[in-house]
Amino acid sequence: MSTTHPTHLDSVVGDAHHAEHHHELSFIKKYVFSTDHKMIGIQFLITTLLMLMVGGALALGVRWQLAFRWSTMPIVGEWLFSGEGGQISPEFYTMLFTMHATVMIFLVIIPILAGAFGNFLIPLMIGADDMAFPVLNMLSYWFMWPAILCFAFALGLGPESITGVIGGMNAGSAQGWTSYPVLSAIAESAPGSQMAQTWWLLAVTFVGFSSMMGSINYMTTIINMRAPGLTLFRMPLTIWAMFITAILQAFALPVLTAAGFMLVADRVLGTCFFIPSGVIVNNADPTTGGGQPLLWQHLFWFYSHPAVYIMLLPAMGMVSDMLSVMCRKPVFGYKPMVYSLAAIAGLGFIVWGHHMFTSGMNPALGMTFMISTMMIALPSAIKTFNWIGTIWGGKPQFNAVFLNCVAFVSLFVVGGLSGIFMAAVPVDIYFHDTYFIVAHFHYVLFGATLFGVFGAIQFWFPKMFGRMMNDTLGQIHFVLTFIGMNCTFFPMHMLGIAGMPRRYADPYLHPYLEHLLPMNQFMTISAMVMGFAQFILLFNFVYSIFCGEKCGRNPWNANTLEWTAPSPPGHGNFDIPPVCYRGPYEYSSPLAVDKDYLPQSEYIPRKPGEKPGDGQH
Amino acid sequence: MGKFWSIFFIFWSIVAVVAVAISPAMGWWFPTAAESPLGEQIDDLFFLILYITTITFIGTQVAMGYVLWRGATNTDDRAEFSHGSHSLEVIWTIVPAFILLFIALYQIPVWEQFRIQSHFPQDAVNSPIAEVTARQFEWRIRYPAPGRVFKGKSDIERWLKQPEPGDLYTVNDLHVPSNKPVLIHLRSGDVQHSFFIPDLRVKQDAVPGMVIPVWFEASRSKAYEWVCAELCGWGHYKMKARVVAESDEDFKNYLHELELEQFDDGVPELADSSAAGEEEVSE
Amino acid sequence: MNPRYLSQFLSKSSAGVATHIFSAFGTIVALCGFVGCDSKPIGSKFVLSERTEELISPARKRVQDQLTEDFGTPQDLVAWLRFPVDYGMHKGTIKDVEATDQGSYKFAVDWTDADAESLRIRRGAGLMMTSGDYAGTNVKVNHYAPESGRIHIDAFMNPAPAVGDELTVVGGKLQAGRMLYMEHCVHCHGTSGDGNGPTAKYLNPKPRDYRLGKFKFTTTKPLEKIATSDLKRTVKLGIPGTYMPSFMLLKDDELSAIVEYVRWLAIRGEMEARIVNELHGDYSTADVRERVKGGETNDEIEEELQTLFDEDFSETVDDLASGLAADWLRADEEPSLILPNVPRVPDSLESQERGKKLYLSGDTKCVSCHGPTGRGDGSSTEEFWDIPGSQPIQKYAVRGLHDDWGNPIKPRDLTRGIYRGGRRPIDIFCRIYAGIKGTQMPAFGGKTGPKDLKDEDIWDIVNYVLSIPYETDRAIHEPLSIPPLEQTTAATE
Repeated sequence: MSTTHPTHLDSVVGDAHHAEHHHELSFIKKYVFSTDHKMIGIQFLITTLLMLMVGGALALGVRWQLAFRWSTMPIVGEWLFSGEGGQISPEFYTMLFTMHATVMIFLVIIPILAGAFGNFLIPLMIGADDMAFPVLNMLSYWFMWPAILCFAFALGLGPESITGVIGGMNAGSAQGWTSYPVLSAIAESAPGSQMAQTWWLLAVTFVGFSSMMGSINYMTTIINMRAPGLTLFRMPLTIWAMFITAILQAFALPVLTAAGFMLVADRVLGTCFFIPSGVIVNNADPTTGGGQPLLWQHLFWFYSHPAVYIMLLPAMGMVSDMLSVMCRKPVFGYKPMVYSLAAIAGLGFIVWGHHMFTSGMNPALGMTFMISTMMIALPSAIKTFNWIGTIWGGKPQFNAVFLNCVAFVSLFVVGGLSGIFMAAVPVDIYFHDTYFIVAHFHYVLFGATLFGVFGAIQFWFPKMFGRMMNDTLGQIHFVLTFIGMNCTFFPMHMLGIAGMPRRYADPYLHPYLEHLLPMNQFMTISAMVMGFAQFILLFNFVYSIFCGEKCGRNPWNANTLEWTAPSPPGHGNFDIPPVCYRGPYEYSSPLAVDKDYLPQSEYIPRKPGEKPGDGQH
Repeated sequence: MGKFWSIFFIFWSIVAVVAVAISPAMGWWFPTAAESPLGEQIDDLFFLILYITTITFIGTQVAMGYVLWRGATNTDDRAEFSHGSHSLEVIWTIVPAFILLFIALYQIPVWEQFRIQSHFPQDAVNSPIAEVTARQFEWRIRYPAPGRVFKGKSDIERWLKQPEPGDLYTVNDLHVPSNKPVLIHLRSGDVQHSFFIPDLRVKQDAVPGMVIPVWFEASRSKAYEWVCAELCGWGHYKMKARVVAESDEDFKNYLHELELEQFDDGVPELADSSAAGEEEVSE
Repeated sequence: MNPRYLSQFLSKSSAGVATHIFSAFGTIVALCGFVGCDSKPIGSKFVLSERTEELISPARKRVQDQLTEDFGTPQDLVAWLRFPVDYGMHKGTIKDVEATDQGSYKFAVDWTDADAESLRIRRGAGLMMTSGDYAGTNVKVNHYAPESGRIHIDAFMNPAPAVGDELTVVGGKLQAGRMLYMEHCVHCHGTSGDGNGPTAKYLNPKPRDYRLGKFKFTTTKPLEKIATSDLKRTVKLGIPGTYMPSFMLLKDDELSAIVEYVRWLAIRGEMEARIVNELHGDYSTADVRERVKGGETNDEIEEELQTLFDEDFSETVDDLASGLAADWLRADEEPSLILPNVPRVPDSLESQERGKKLYLSGDTKCVSCHGPTGRGDGSSTEEFWDIPGSQPIQKYAVRGLHDDWGNPIKPRDLTRGIYRGGRRPIDIFCRIYAGIKGTQMPAFGGKTGPKDLKDEDIWDIVNYVLSIPYETDRAIHEPLSIPPLEQTTAATE
């Protein structure tokens, strides 16, 4: 264990120096079937960013129909519906929103947080040379591809002879991402309920495998491979969040996988877990039955509510870290932050019923779920106050990273508060399955998580590629996305209050919704602007990989361990195995004399008379 | 730039608040004020939560704007070195906890009325108006024969199980008496649907294999729009229907008209009175 | 600002802007691997029937041209006044004329049968001058402004039509019907009414293909077409047990516009079929192949066809149209409608028993399809049936009955209490009297042979059929004391 550190780590030649100790890897081993957590993280990141564009395109299809219903839909209209003058079919619309949600949730948000950032950051931030199980890690990425392939089949892409999806995209999976039976269980009940739905379930199972491999790996790595001195309560909040997320995944996922297999069995083997007797759909033979559709809802939401936190907690952790760095100030209330993360995760397991207030389950359950749901707002509130506390008194640098983080907090507040309306059972009677809920979860998943991700991409980009992303482009992207996002999703609250149900191909068929057309057109145009803005991000990303400004090890003057590694880190990450002496957030500490940060790995000899522990907790 | 961004974030929250404030005037609000006693209570609860959340929203956004502005204008060499404040943490844990718990407990009576069967209005329970069966993509309605009196729970259950010759059928057009609680039995013929009358603030999923009693009361005599609120397939949006609330008198007349129509034998001069009657004789 | 106006404004202007943004976005997405094409709005198309496609190309082209001339395209409908379709007509008198810079005209019109504001005339409607110098001239409407009551036409006329000239605008209702059809009906029934919209292939039973001119549930006599009122009833109430939903909440004028458009599509399709019938025996690809084998040359055949077209084909088409128009006209006339000779036979156990006997008897053969207990499981559902008209005779691939559209059908399960054509006694009566057109359900009524059913007998069967759903539970029902209906009726009156 070394006690002295070079003060100018950048002077150590990272890559070249390091590579000497390892044999050269072939291109395939290095960039494709890599077991290096950093490469896997970057693979995840690029894959998910591409999927983000696919999901966005599907969303724009949805928005097009809502604004210019039954008019020629650009691109797909002519391609698939030329006989009808490019006017899409209603089942195509149901496919669009189903696959939009599916792609965004299973191929973007979950893998970009856990897969991309979890992979890239966990070993680096805890001072490990790689994950505990590198091959498992590689498999977790490569299991995404069967999932993507199956989702493509579920979307109706791919040859009919292989997929069995009759009618191509018109018969793409269309049960909503929640796949409620009986609609999803009986093939005759909708065009999308035929083979596409089986592919969909298979794909979700593959995503589940991938996540499960990841989460086992993360837990093991975080528990066993921390650098010397990095105690649990010296871990950055990002790592705490990843750790708790991994636990959530590990406990919730098996339930979804089991439910998925039950549904596949209902569809393929003729079991009736979710199908009651005597149901006649589309003049098919009556079902023999004995099952209960609500069972699926319980099982599904038992996974999918925790999944909402899987889609949020890592972003919360990363934003906490970024805010602290950008404000040059310790995170306000580190331990309350950790405890509230844990509380959200814990409570997350007992609130699933709030998705089912109007479902016909025992109404007494509704009350208990309401109380637990209200209570889960509490740790979220605590976190929000602490983020504001973190900025308070700081010296913020108003760059793209910081702006995205502030947007995260600001928009998360909206998403959190709108959740209270639906947590209240009587009010939810009205709001259930209206656009209010659509507004709510977009504020959480887009407003919070994605802005956190945008910030994180720009924050850790130098570590990934050794170059900075362009900050001006970053700020332009931020402004356009922020404005586009709010103009698209804020009016959805009003649509919800006006009683507009979700998943309607043509809401204006109903006179009480007719007057909402102009508002929807405004939202659609905003959504297009927002969609456009993402090309700026992509451009900035690709451009900066090759032409960005080169940077050293620690361009942000940050404390956590990953910044002591070279940028980009070589195989095995650290040229000098780091040792941790203190918590991750000692910014502007009086102990640091010539700079306003104190890296976790920097040793400061104790002054005479100082008590142990001061400044190095 | 710091000041600009501080104002930017403040500005968006002002726009948001203004947007909500002008919404009722712009028609981006409830289709009408609730037109049922239960709905009025739901509206009250909504406004209560709206006020609490608006205050919280403004509070947090102002705090955010303030700390950003302070940060932007901070001329100190270094940021403040603080790891937090225990007392602040305690305050902002306990206060929201009480508010949230209050909101939760305050909701319970309304929920009880709407969904707990022992709290249902008993008159409505004893004489259900109709059985509503949702199917892709319409609402099929079955009224008990006019004058059919239910003798207790088991009789109602029997009626739900086995249609009777005098039952009257319609589609997408449910008539109910206004100004008194009425109860329908909701079921689904195929997939899941949801019974949603926006103006009355009533929503209940129709679940295959279940018969769910739903009660509501319309305070005015008028036609209410009735839609489906649970994805039921490609024609989900097509399940356009109406609930017509009308005086007792009109309701009875309506059923009578329906009966004449349903037992029409196509012979003009006799269609009126006798034809329908014989239907029952056989029973 | 009134939101309705705003919406009209927006849907015009912003759709344009949005299309541009969207196509730019689309182009970029296309680079990422999607299929991209430029996205100017495209029109829907009427497709030719399968039989038309079997013709050799000059014949097919003639059919296509004939149809386009007589019926137009979806974007440019032609109202052929010879057919009994309510195309929507508005008469008016020009009260002032304004020439535009481009040399076309705007008329202000005094409408005789409507006020200017409530009138909706779309671009492309026909305008016929009925008096003055231009009497008999047909032009197209470019634009109609309800606020000012001004019609803008594209045609160049010199000198300008005079004030006081009378005109008629035709086709507004057909256009309105098409708009509604494209919103509510097209994804199942298809643009051409061929029952082959994008959703159609997933439905059971299949959506109606109008082009045979046959509809199943009518109140007209066995050989007659469907009456307009029957179609209206079907659209209004839907067809229980199928995906045909109820459009009850559409306004009455919307309903009737849809119905007229459907009738027009049916007539169009049938017209196509009848024209093709004239040509199919000699000029289908298969026939020509045979003929070439027999020694004729392709050129000779085509020449012969050309001669046919040049000489009397127009007259043939004309005759076909007259016949077709007469058929459709007759359907709405009183003698075509089924009117029972006797009121419904009182519904008693005796009547039901008589009905049951008839149901089970060898004369009606109800049992062979509907089964002895009415479950729709008669022996005919187990057999393989010949495809009618196939040469040599082929059999359907699936067991059971098929309708004239070639779709497998099941005899109604009478125990379920779901009656597709309606549950009124008169509905069931009509089903038995006239059969279900296009299916194997035969017509029993209106015959006078000794073994044929009289109206009384049909009523007995109606009574029996309506009692089938309750047959098994009769024991449960009897103890109930439902007050006799006369009393209830009296109480409400």
